[in-house]
Amino acid sequence: MSFTIVSLLPTLQNTNGDAQNAQVLAMRARWAGLEADVRAVDDAAVLPDRVDAVVLGSGSDASLEASRERLLGLHDELRRWGTEGVPILGVGTGWELLSWGIETGDGRSIEGLGILPGRAVPRAERVTGDLVVRSPAFGMLVGFENHARDYIGAEGSPLGRVLAGGGNGRDSGQEGVVMGSVFGTHLHGPVLAKNPAFADRLLTIMAERAGVDYTPGGRSEEVDGYAAAARSVQARAAGVEAPDA
Amino acid sequence: MRAGSLCYGPAILVGRLTRFAARLRKPGGGSAVPGLVVNRIAPNYLKRTLSGFPQGLVVVSGSAGKSTTTKMLVAILREHGVDVFTNPSTANISQGLTSALLEQADWRGRVPGEVAVLEMDEGHGALVMQGVDARVVCLTNVMVDQIDRFHDSEMVAGMLGRIAARAGESVVVNADDAYLERLAEKVGPDVSVRRFGVSQSVLDAAPRGLGYTETSTTRLDPAAGVVIDSVEGRTTTLLDEGRRVVAGLPARGTHYAVDAAAAYSTAKAVLGERFSGETAARALDAIPAVFGRGERVTVRGQEVEFVLVQNPASYQLNVDSIEPGTSDILFAIGSDVRDPSYFWPADASSLRRVAIVSGSKAAEAALMLAYDGVGIDRIEPDLARALDDFLAAPAPTAGVKTIVFSADSMRRTRAHLGLTGTE
Repeated sequence: MSFTIVSLLPTLQNTNGDAQNAQVLAMRARWAGLEADVRAVDDAAVLPDRVDAVVLGSGSDASLEASRERLLGLHDELRRWGTEGVPILGVGTGWELLSWGIETGDGRSIEGLGILPGRAVPRAERVTGDLVVRSPAFGMLVGFENHARDYIGAEGSPLGRVLAGGGNGRDSGQEGVVMGSVFGTHLHGPVLAKNPAFADRLLTIMAERAGVDYTPGGRSEEVDGYAAAARSVQARAAGVEAPDA
Repeated sequence: MRAGSLCYGPAILVGRLTRFAARLRKPGGGSAVPGLVVNRIAPNYLKRTLSGFPQGLVVVSGSAGKSTTTKMLVAILREHGVDVFTNPSTANISQGLTSALLEQADWRGRVPGEVAVLEMDEGHGALVMQGVDARVVCLTNVMVDQIDRFHDSEMVAGMLGRIAARAGESVVVNADDAYLERLAEKVGPDVSVRRFGVSQSVLDAAPRGLGYTETSTTRLDPAAGVVIDSVEGRTTTLLDEGRRVVAGLPARGTHYAVDAAAAYSTAKAVLGERFSGETAARALDAIPAVFGRGERVTVRGQEVEFVLVQNPASYQLNVDSIEPGTSDILFAIGSDVRDPSYFWPADASSLRRVAIVSGSKAAEAALMLAYDGVGIDRIEPDLARALDDFLAAPAPTAGVKTIVFSADSMRRTRAHLGLTGTE
């Protein structure tokens, strides 16, 4: 058994290094003694037969329509993965494209793929900076956010509560959305590296589906120490005392 | 000839006094404070002075390469006998520019020089250039850089477009950059567009491409601009209207050849008939290796190579240029890198092992290296201690001791090791 982790649209949707979350999953799987490969998929034609997890990063607003076109070619697969419980991580505009739809600040309306509930709507001004979230499932999540839109309609199943930063906005006090094993978040860049509990949750789902055991091993203890240090520095800078970091 | 005017005398005096006070507080240090003060009490000084050079203002901007391009352009113009005013690369925003002008200004605020060549921060440039007329604007490229400031490439291109709109005579663009080519289509009918770009063979020889957000699909026709025909080591051959111009570079690397072609093309636009390819090549040959960009120095009796990381593209290029198997690497990322996320797409696995990871972003940097499969011996956020221990360690078993750093860590390293001089 070898995990296949799909990095979706890495050419269009990787402004912040979000696509490297696929690499994080693969590396942690290997540290645990499992085999794993990352496959870059820019269109449906090169989709591998086996898909254990999907990472879709954030792109620029100019590429929203182009990315949507590409994703429409994978609409059936995305729906099937979502239903079957294949972990999908959508970050920033990648998440927004998986929602019901996007309204941009310049008046464009883009229909989403409807994999995740809710929609992205313009916010008064772009929010850029640290984002710290308390998640019931993963403890404290720490990272960066940089987005010009709020997210509404996720109130029933957010990823967590905002301790510092903007998150979904509109006074919701919430960040992200979760639907089964599909996750949407504004936490951009290597969110899974900095929040290993989140990564290990996805890996545990992947392992259960594949009928194997996942126990973090190899370098993960050492590297999670770096993550803890980075989280603690960033949470403190954002004004949050980090009891678990 | 001088740019400036009598009415700024009092403001200049205040600026001078502020500079004097700032130097008392921080001996030897340059400061943007005098510029801040003068901008406050004489808000038009910067605009008036920049617009007042007899042979006009030349602006260099873009995501990467603007410092090197500016230095090369200044060297080429001076080799042609032109009296040039320029700004140090650290003073490329409003206060810094005014401070730089004050350094050269007489008591009435007049600044000597026939022509001004300014490196302009792509973010602040659009604002600084409001109401300022430039003769020539040179744009180097559009890359993903400092996403917390610039969000995405559209935003950078938009800001560069506003800078380019101030050009009255010529806009010089990198033809390999698709964003800049689209921008060039929009310049006014009275403004000429000049281009530079690499040949297909130079592009083919760059394993990871040129690093621009979007590279043009076609190469520049030698009849339509200055083409970089080849890059070999520290030498490049430019094709200019059928002539072959061979010039030296400050370091190995295609991006230095591109910077040289940018400076060469811009100097042509500025000088017109007075321009000589041989004179330009002579000026480029004489430019010394740049500090912090692949330069080797001897520190505390040890040979050390410095590698500066400025943006994801230069990070990848510079990491690729470190000899595989180099045993002693110090890797330092400082507070200038607010969010290291955008460095993650680069692949540092060729480093294999790093001796010390340091800087205020040490943990973030270690995380990034670890997921590239790079081994890490030690994390020491205190850069001074990391440098001392790194240099005190025995000579490396393979390669030279190599320090990879961000701009902030470079400044701290230079200060700690007592290295001064060029940047």
